[in-house]
Amino acid sequence: MAKDKNKAKSKSMSSGVYIFAALLLAVIYIINTLLVESIYSNNSKMSTRTSQSMNCLNRINSELSEINMDTLGIAAGIKTDMAVITDDTNRRYANIKDAENTFRNIQDVTPDAMRRFDYAMSIVETYKKRLDSLDTGVVESGDYIEMGYILKQDIYPLQISASEMLTSTIDVMSVKIASMMKQNAIKTYLLMSMMMIVAILGEIAIWIFAKRSKKARLELDERERSLAEVDAKLKATRQKATDLAEMNVLTGMKNRYALDNEISGRLESERFNIAVFDLDNFRSINDTYGYDFGDEYLVAVSDKLKEEFSSVAEIYNITGNEFCFVFNKSISESQAMGIVQNIHRVMTSPFEVLNLNVQLPCSGAVYHYLPGDCLNVNSLLVKLDTAMRNAKMNGGNMVNTVMNM
Amino acid sequence: MNKKRKGVLRALAVCSAAVMMMASSGCAKGGPGGPGGRGPGGAQQGGKIAVITKQQLSFWDDVKKGAEDACSELGYELIYTVADGDNDYVSQVAAINDAIKKDARAIVIAPNGTTELNEAFEKAEEKGIKIININSLADYDGVISLISSSETDGGGVAARSAVKALAANKYDFTKGVKVGIIGHTASTAEKRIEGFADVFTQQAAFKALQAGGMQDMGAAGDAAQQGGDQAQQGGAAQQGGAGGAAGSDDAMGAIIVSLRKNIVEGERCAKRDDAKAQAKKLLGTDGNGINVMFGTTTNTTLGICDAVEELGLAGKIVVVGFNSDEQELAFIRKGVLNGVVVQNPYIMGYVGVRYAKKVLDGTNVPNRLDTGATFVNADNLNDPFIQLLLYPDSY
Repeated sequence: MAKDKNKAKSKSMSSGVYIFAALLLAVIYIINTLLVESIYSNNSKMSTRTSQSMNCLNRINSELSEINMDTLGIAAGIKTDMAVITDDTNRRYANIKDAENTFRNIQDVTPDAMRRFDYAMSIVETYKKRLDSLDTGVVESGDYIEMGYILKQDIYPLQISASEMLTSTIDVMSVKIASMMKQNAIKTYLLMSMMMIVAILGEIAIWIFAKRSKKARLELDERERSLAEVDAKLKATRQKATDLAEMNVLTGMKNRYALDNEISGRLESERFNIAVFDLDNFRSINDTYGYDFGDEYLVAVSDKLKEEFSSVAEIYNITGNEFCFVFNKSISESQAMGIVQNIHRVMTSPFEVLNLNVQLPCSGAVYHYLPGDCLNVNSLLVKLDTAMRNAKMNGGNMVNTVMNM
Repeated sequence: MNKKRKGVLRALAVCSAAVMMMASSGCAKGGPGGPGGRGPGGAQQGGKIAVITKQQLSFWDDVKKGAEDACSELGYELIYTVADGDNDYVSQVAAINDAIKKDARAIVIAPNGTTELNEAFEKAEEKGIKIININSLADYDGVISLISSSETDGGGVAARSAVKALAANKYDFTKGVKVGIIGHTASTAEKRIEGFADVFTQQAAFKALQAGGMQDMGAAGDAAQQGGDQAQQGGAAQQGGAGGAAGSDDAMGAIIVSLRKNIVEGERCAKRDDAKAQAKKLLGTDGNGINVMFGTTTNTTLGICDAVEELGLAGKIVVVGFNSDEQELAFIRKGVLNGVVVQNPYIMGYVGVRYAKKVLDGTNVPNRLDTGATFVNADNLNDPFIQLLLYPDSY
C-alpha cells in the first residue's frame, strides 16, 4: 500500500512539473506576444504617421515648385496671363495650406521636426507675400530686367530655402524615426533575449526538477528492492525453521510432527496404506559400537530406504530407529503388502558402516486404513505400534498387519 | 525508467518548441521596414562635423546657430571654430588640422582665402573627410558644395532697394544719381559692389528712360568728379532722352555709362571709424551731391551711418548697407539707414551641415546653393520672416 502511495505521489509530482512548465510557457508566451505586439503597433503607427508627414511635406514642396515654375514662365515671357497665373497660384497655395493643416494635425511630430517645419512655412508665407506684392504692372510693362531680378533675387532663393527646410523636416523626422525604430528594435531583441533566457532557465529548472524526481524514484525503488530481499530472507528463515521442526536432523527425513500435519486431514475422508518399521535390538548397536556408529547405521538405512521407496511412499523417521511409510494413493493394498516385504528385506539386509558389515532384523506393521478408523494420528500410530510390538513379542523380524475393527 | 526519461525529453521538446514560436513571432513582427522605404541607416551613423567660420561677428554667430541646430537635429557632434578675421587663414588651417585630429567626418568651412587652405584640405581629404564651403568658395577641387548667398545678387538687392527708395522719395532720375560706396577689405566686397553697380545703373537708367531720359548728364558727370568726357555723356543721354522710347538699348547703354561714372568709391576699410572717415571724405560737409550711400558690410555701413548722422544728412541721402547688426537696426529705426541686405547665415550653417550629412550618407548634393538675400527696412522689420532672419534662435 505504502509502495503504491509513493508511486502515486511521485507520479503526481511528475505531472505537476509538466503543468508548471506548460503554465510558465503560456505566461511567457502571452507576455512576449503582448510586448511584441505593442512594439509592432508603435512601429506601425510611427510608419503611418511618417508616411502621412512625408506626403504632406512632399506635397507642399511640389506645389511650391510648381508656383515657382509659373514665376519662371512669367520672367521668361512665356506666361503673361496674370489672371490665370494668379488663380493657379492661389489654388496651389490653398493646397499648401491644406497639407500644412494635415501635417500640423499629425500626432507626435517631434518638436525638432515641427520647429523645422515652422521655419519652412515661415519662408513659404514670405514667398507668397512677395508674390502677392508683385506689381503686375511690371509684367504688363514688359520690364523683363526687373522681372529677372525679382525672380533671381526675391523669389527663387526663398523657394530654395523653403524647399531646403521642408526636406530638412523630412530628414529630421527620418533621424528621429530611425532612432525610435532602433530603440524599438533594441527593445524587441532585449525582450526576445529576456524571454529566451527565462524559457531556458525554465527548461533547466524543469530538467533539474525532473532529474531530482527521477533520483527520488530510483531511491524509492532501491528501498523497495531491499525490503523485498529482507522479506525473502525472512521467508527462507521461516521455512528453514518450519523444516527443522518437521525434520529429523540426523536422517533428513520428515519427523512425527510432519506426519501429524500431513495426514491429520486425511483421516476422516481417505483410505490409504500406512506401515511402520523398527530395527530390532538397535540398542545393542549403540551399546556395542557407540551412538556415533548407531547414528551412522541409521543414516545408511534411511538413505537406502529413500533411495528405494521414496517414489512409492512418503517416508517419515518418527522416532530414533522407527520409520513410517505412507503409501501413495495409487498404491493398492496388495501392492502395499509387496512393498512392505521389500522394505523388510532392505532394512534387514547388511549395511557397511565405518568398514563394518552390520545386519539387524526388523519388525513392522502395516495398516490398510479406512476413512474414520482413527480420530487422530496418535491413535493411528498407537494401532500400528501395538501391531509392531506384537510382532516383536512373537520373536520379531516380521511384519504384522493391523486389523480393521 | 525509459518511459520517464522520454517524458522529460518530451517536456524539453515542448519548451524548445515554445521558445522557437516566441522567437519566430518576435522576429516576424519585430522588424517592419523603414517609413516609405527611406533608409534610416545613414542618419544614425552620427560622428563629428567641424564648422569653421571667418570671424567674431553676429553673422557668424547665426551660422553657428544653424550648424548647432542641424547637428542636434540630425545626430552629429559639432566642432565649431571661428577665425580672428576674414583674412585669418592661419587659424583656419589649425582648425582643419584639429578637425582631422578629432576624427571629424566632414568640414563645413567659410574659407578665409582662396588657395591658402589647400594643403590642409588635401590632408583632410586623405583622411576621407568631406569638404563643404559656405559663404565663399575656396579654389580647391575637393570642395563638394558651396552654400552661400550670391554676393553680386546681394549687391543687386541693395541697388534695387536704393532705387525704390529714391523712387518713393519722388526722386527725379532724369537728373542722374550720384552714389558713394564704402567697401570692406575682403574679397566679397568686390562682388557686392559689382552687383550693386550693375543693377543700380540698370534700374536707375530704366527709371530715367521712363521719365523721359536724362536731363543734364554733364552736370551729373561733374558732380561725380570723375573727369569723364562730359560732352559725350551728355550727348548720349540727350540722345536717349530725345529718343524717348523706353527700352531703347542705345539710350539705355548711354545712361548706364553715365550713371556708372557717378558712382564714387572711398578707400576700402575694415573698421567702422575708418569707414566713417571715408564716408565723410566723400560727403564733404553737405553731402557733396551724393544721393545714395552704400556700405558693403556691417562696419562700413555703420561708418556711413555715423557720418550721415553727424553731418545731419539723415533722410536726405538714401543709405543702404549689409548685414543685420543691432546697431544697424537701430539706425534703421532712427531713419538714418534706409535698409540693409540680410543674407541668411542661419540657413547657411544649417544647410552646410545637412549637405555634409547627405554627402556622408552617399547622397548627391547640388554643387551650389543660393540661400538668397533679403532687404530689411523699417517697413518690414517686424515681419515674421525678417524676425526669423534677424533672430534665428528666438523661435
